[in-house]
Amino acid sequence: MIRKVLFWLVTLSVLLVVAGPLLWIFLTAYKAANDIFTTELSKIVVFTPTLENFHRLFTAYPFWKNLGNTAIVSVISTIVVMIVSLPAAYSFSRWNTGGGHLLFVTISTRMFPGVVAAIPFFIVFRSLHLLDTHAALILLYTYFNTSFATFLLYGFFREVPKELEQAAMIDGYGRMQTFRRVVFPLILPGLAVTSVFCLIWSWNEFFYAFLFTRRFATTVNVLISSFWGSIEVQYGPMAAGAAIAILPTLLAALLMQRYIIRGLTFGAVKG
Amino acid sequence: MNTELLHETASGGRSGVQAFADSRKATLWEMLTSERYFKWTLLIPLLVLLIIFMLYPLFYCMYYSFYEWGMQGNALFVGLHNYRQMLNDQSFLEALGRTFKVLVICTVSELAIGLGLAMLWNREFKGQNVVRGLALLPLMVAPLVLSLLWNFLLEYDFGAVNQILSAVGIGKIYWWSPELALYTICAITIWQWFPFSVFVLLAGLRSLPKDVFEAARVDGAGEWYTFRRLTLPMLSPLIMIIVVLRSMWLIRLFDPLYGTTRGGVNTELLDWRVYRTAFVYFDIGYGSAMAIFSLFLTIAICAVMFRLLMKSFGEV
Repeated sequence: MIRKVLFWLVTLSVLLVVAGPLLWIFLTAYKAANDIFTTELSKIVVFTPTLENFHRLFTAYPFWKNLGNTAIVSVISTIVVMIVSLPAAYSFSRWNTGGGHLLFVTISTRMFPGVVAAIPFFIVFRSLHLLDTHAALILLYTYFNTSFATFLLYGFFREVPKELEQAAMIDGYGRMQTFRRVVFPLILPGLAVTSVFCLIWSWNEFFYAFLFTRRFATTVNVLISSFWGSIEVQYGPMAAGAAIAILPTLLAALLMQRYIIRGLTFGAVKG
Repeated sequence: MNTELLHETASGGRSGVQAFADSRKATLWEMLTSERYFKWTLLIPLLVLLIIFMLYPLFYCMYYSFYEWGMQGNALFVGLHNYRQMLNDQSFLEALGRTFKVLVICTVSELAIGLGLAMLWNREFKGQNVVRGLALLPLMVAPLVLSLLWNFLLEYDFGAVNQILSAVGIGKIYWWSPELALYTICAITIWQWFPFSVFVLLAGLRSLPKDVFEAARVDGAGEWYTFRRLTLPMLSPLIMIIVVLRSMWLIRLFDPLYGTTRGGVNTELLDWRVYRTAFVYFDIGYGSAMAIFSLFLTIAICAVMFRLLMKSFGEV
C-alpha cells in the first residue's frame, strides 16, 4: 500500500514537472500582458482569457508566412532525403557496400558540429546569393538529415528477410522489380517513421535557420526567438507563436510513441 | 525493362540513330542494374551528397584554419598560428572546460533519473500509456522554444518557479546569476532529455530474460544485490549508447544558450564560442580552427558509438 502511494506520488510529480511547463505555454498564450507580468501566484492558472496575443501575432508579425517557410523547407528537404537515403540504406543492408567504412562516414556527418558546416556554407551561399532563401535551408537540412535517415532505414531494411527477396528473384523478378514489389511495401512503415523524424528535426532546427535567413526565408523558430529582444521581451506573442508551432511536434510525439526511442537511438534500441 | 524498351523503339519506327541512342541508354541502364554494379548505383545520390556536404566543408575549414581571414579581402597564410592562439586563449579553454562540465553533469543526472524512473515504470499499471506518452513530450519540442519558455519560468520577479518557491517559503532564487546560470542551463537540458534515458532503459529492462531474475529470487538474492549484479551489467550496453549519443549532442549545445543567456554570465560553451568568433567577429580562420578541434573531439566519440551501434544490430 505504502509502495503504491509512493509510486503514484513520484509518477505524478514527474508528470507535473514535465507537462506543467508545456501547459504553461498554452496558458500564457491566452493571457493579457498584466496577467503575464504579475507576482500573484494564482494568476498562473486563474485569469481572463484573451485572444489579444494571437491577434497581434497574426497582424503585426509575418507568423503564417514564417510557419509556411518552416513547412516548405521541412517537407521538401524530407522528400530529398528519402530519395537519397532509401536506395543507399538498401544497398548498405543488402550488400554491406563499402564494408562498413562508408556507413561510418555517412553517420559521422550527423555528428559533425553544426558550425563546421556553417562557416564554409555561409561563405559559399553568400557568393551564390543563396543566403536567406528556401533553397539554402533545404540543402542544409538535407545535409544533416540524410545520414540519420540512412542509418534508421538501414535498421528497418535489415528486418526484411533475405529469403523473401531470393524467392522473388527465383520467380523471375529483376532487381528493380524485387525492390519495388517485395521490399518496398515491407519497408513502408519504416519509411513513414523515418520521414516523420526528418520532418520533426527540420521543424525544430534553429541554428542554421538563425544563421542563414534574415527576412525572406525566416522560419517560425527564428520569429519566436526574435521576441526575446535585447530591449524588450514580448512574452504574449512569443507564447502564442510557440503554442501553435509546437503543436505538430507534440502530436507526432503522441502518435509515434512506439518509435521515438528507436528513432533517437538511430535504430539501435527497438523501444 | 530492356527488351520492352527495344521493342517499343522498333515498333515505333523511329530513325536508326534514335534506336541506337536508345539501345546505348539501355545498356547503360543494364550495367547500372546489373548484379555487380547495382549496389553502387543505389549509392550514387548519397555519395554525391557526401562529397558536396561533407568533404567540401571539411577541407574548407581545414584550409582556412591555417589562414587569417575576415570574410573580406585576401586571406593571409599564418600556418599554425590559429591553433597556437587557441591553446593560449583563456576564454576558449574556459568554454571547453564548461562544455565538459555540462557534459558530465547532464549525462550523469540523466542516467540516474532515467535508471530510477525506468525501474519504477517497468511494470503494468493503470494509465501507463498516458504516463509514458506525456513523459515523452519534451523530447520532441524545439529546444529553442523550451529555452525561451524556461527563461521566463525562471525569471526573478515574474517567473512561475520563483513565485512557487517564495509561496512555499524557500524564497526567490536568482537563477541567471553568474554562479548559477550554467547549472540552470544544465537543469533545462536535463529536463528535456531525461525521458530519453528513461525510455531507452525501459526498453532494455523489458527485454531482459525473466528466468534469470526468477532464479536469483529463488536463490534468495536481495533486491539491491540483484540490481547491482544482474540488472546493471545487463543494461550496460544501453547505458553506453546513452552516454555516447548524449555526449555527441551535448558537445554542440547551442539552442538552450540562445534563448537564455546568449553566452553571457559565464555560460559560453564550445559551439557558442565558435559561432561568435566566426559570425560576430568574422574571424573565419580562428573560427575554422576551433570548429576543426570540435570536430575531432566528436569523431573520437563517434567512432566509439559506431561500434556500439553495429554491435546492437549484430545481436538482432
